[in-house]
Amino acid sequence: MTTSTPAIEDARGQGTGSWLRDNRTLLLLLPTLGLFLAFLLFPYLNMIVMSFRNPSTSQVFAPGYTVFNYFDAIFDEDLYYLEILWDTMVFGVGTTFLCLIIGYPVAYHLARTKSRFQNLLYAFVLSPLLVGVVVRCYGWIIILANQDGLINSTLRKYGIIESFIPLMYNTFGVGLGLVHIFLPFMILPLLGAIQSIDPALEEASQSLGASRTKTMIRVVFPLSLPGVQAGTVLVFVLTISSYVIPILLGGLNVMIMSTLVVQQLLDAMLWPFGAALAFILSVTGGLAVYFYLKFTSHFMKGIA
Amino acid sequence: MTAAVPRIRLGRVVYLGFITLVYVFLLMPLVIVVLASFNSGEFLTFPPEGFSLRWYVSFFDSESFMGSLFYSLKVAIVCTFFSTILGTTVALYVVRFSGRWREHLRLLILLPLLLPEILTAIALLFFYYNFDATMRALGLDMFVGLFRNSMVGLLIGHILITLPFVFLGISSSLYNFDMALEEAARSLGAGRFTTFRRVTLPIIKPGIIAGALLCFIISFDLFSISLLLKGIGVATLPIQLFDYVRWDYDPTAAAVATVSILITLMAIALTEKLVGLRSLRF
Repeated sequence: MTTSTPAIEDARGQGTGSWLRDNRTLLLLLPTLGLFLAFLLFPYLNMIVMSFRNPSTSQVFAPGYTVFNYFDAIFDEDLYYLEILWDTMVFGVGTTFLCLIIGYPVAYHLARTKSRFQNLLYAFVLSPLLVGVVVRCYGWIIILANQDGLINSTLRKYGIIESFIPLMYNTFGVGLGLVHIFLPFMILPLLGAIQSIDPALEEASQSLGASRTKTMIRVVFPLSLPGVQAGTVLVFVLTISSYVIPILLGGLNVMIMSTLVVQQLLDAMLWPFGAALAFILSVTGGLAVYFYLKFTSHFMKGIA
Repeated sequence: MTAAVPRIRLGRVVYLGFITLVYVFLLMPLVIVVLASFNSGEFLTFPPEGFSLRWYVSFFDSESFMGSLFYSLKVAIVCTFFSTILGTTVALYVVRFSGRWREHLRLLILLPLLLPEILTAIALLFFYYNFDATMRALGLDMFVGLFRNSMVGLLIGHILITLPFVFLGISSSLYNFDMALEEAARSLGAGRFTTFRRVTLPIIKPGIIAGALLCFIISFDLFSISLLLKGIGVATLPIQLFDYVRWDYDPTAAAVATVSILITLMAIALTEKLVGLRSLRF
C-alpha cells in the first residue's frame, strides 16, 4: 500500500479527517492497482509456480513440485526443444534485420517528405497495424496458397508453371508474414526519431562537402539510433512471441516456441511443461534484449 | 560534375520506387481480401472472374459468424467503457499525485504491453483454473466458473491489454498540461470538481477520445487472449475467422474479413475526424 500523502492536498490545508478523506485521490488509483495485482502480477507468479509442478496424465498437473520440467526441456536427447528455441531466435533476428533495412528508407521518406499526401502515407503505415492479424494473414493465404493461391493459379493459367511453387507452409511464408505484420512497429519509432533530427544538420553536412550517402551514414543514422534501438527491440520481442502468423502461414511444418507452448497446453494438456517452455523462451528473449541494449547503448553515448 | 547529375537522379528513382513497393507490400493483403470478397469464383485469379455478393450472403446467413461478430462488438464496447474510465483515473493519479511511486506505477501499468500477449493469456488461463479449484475446495460452488464460463474472464484480459494504450494517451496530454489554468480556475472560486469538469476534462478530452477508439480497435482485433480465455461455445470474430481459414479457403472468410477491415477503418476515420490521427500513441 502506498503511504505517500498527496502534496497538493496538504498544501491546500484540506488534509484533515479520516484516512480515506486524507487520501481521497487514492480512489483514482485503487481500482486499477487492484486489477493489475490480482489479474496480472498474481497470475504470472502462479505461472512460475506452475512450471515447477509435477506432471500428471489424468489432470492438468499433479500435487508436489519438481525441476524436471526444465530439465526435460533443456537436456532432451535429440535437442528437440533447444532446436526450436534456436529457430525461434533465428526468426526473431532475421525479421528484425529485414524490417530495419526495409523500414528505414520508408521512415526517412515519411519524416522528410513535404508531399501533401504525408497524412495519407502515415495512415497507410498505421492501417495495417490496426487491422487484425488474422485478417492480414488471411490476405497472404489468398495470395500465397500452394494449390489455388493467387500467384500459383495465375502462373498456371498462363502456362508459366505446371504444378505449383511452394510459397506457404514453409519458412518463406512465415518470414514474409512476420516482416509484413511487424514492419509498421519498426517504421513508427524510426519515424519519431528521424523527425526529431534537425534538418539543418543534414544541410550543414552536405554544404561542408559530404555526399548524400555519407550524410546518411555519418549524421542521420547515428542520431536516429534511439529509434533504431526501440524499433528493433519491439520487432524482436513481438516476433519471438508471435503465434498466429506461424500457425496460419507455417501450418505444422514450421514450429517455433509459441506454437509449441500452446500445443503443449491445449492439445497435450501438459500445463507444467508448457509453462516451463514459456519461461525458457521468456528468459532467453529477455537476456538477448538485455545484452543487445547494453551493446547498443555503447554507441548512443551523447545522444539524448 | 556533369556525369554525377544523372547518377543522383537514378538513385532518387530507385529510392522512390523502393518506397512505393513497400507501401504496395503493406497494403496488398488488405486489398486482396476485399477483392476476393467480391469475386464470384471460389478462388481469386488474375484477372478476377466477375463481381458477386454471394460471399456476403453466405456470411450474413451464417449463424456462427454473425454471432461472433456481435459477441466481438459487445466485448469491445464493454472493454472500451471500463478501460477508458480506469485508464483516465489512473493516469490522473500517476501524473498528479503519485510522487515517488510514479515510475513504479507507470511500469506496472505498461507491463501488459511489455509482456508477450500469449504469455499473459496463459497466465490468466492457469489463474482462472486454480481459482475454480480453490473455490471448489472451499465449498464455494457458486463462484466456480466465475471467470471461465462467462464474459468476465475474457473481458479482464481485454482490459489488461488495452488499458496501457488509454493510459499512454491521457498521461501524455496531462504532462503537457499547463497547471496555471487549473490554479486560475481555483483562485476564481471554482471547486475541485467544477475545475476538473470545466477546465481539465475539456483539455484532456482529445487524449481520452483517441485512447477509447484505439482501445475499441485493439479489443475488436485481439487474438491470443481471446483464443485461450473465451468461454466454451462462444467465439469472438477473430477466433471464428481463424478456425475457418485454417481448414477452409471459402471466400466467406473474405467477406467477414472485409467487414472487420471496414469496422476498423470507420474507427480510424472517426479518430482522424475528432482528434487527428497523430493523437494515437504507441
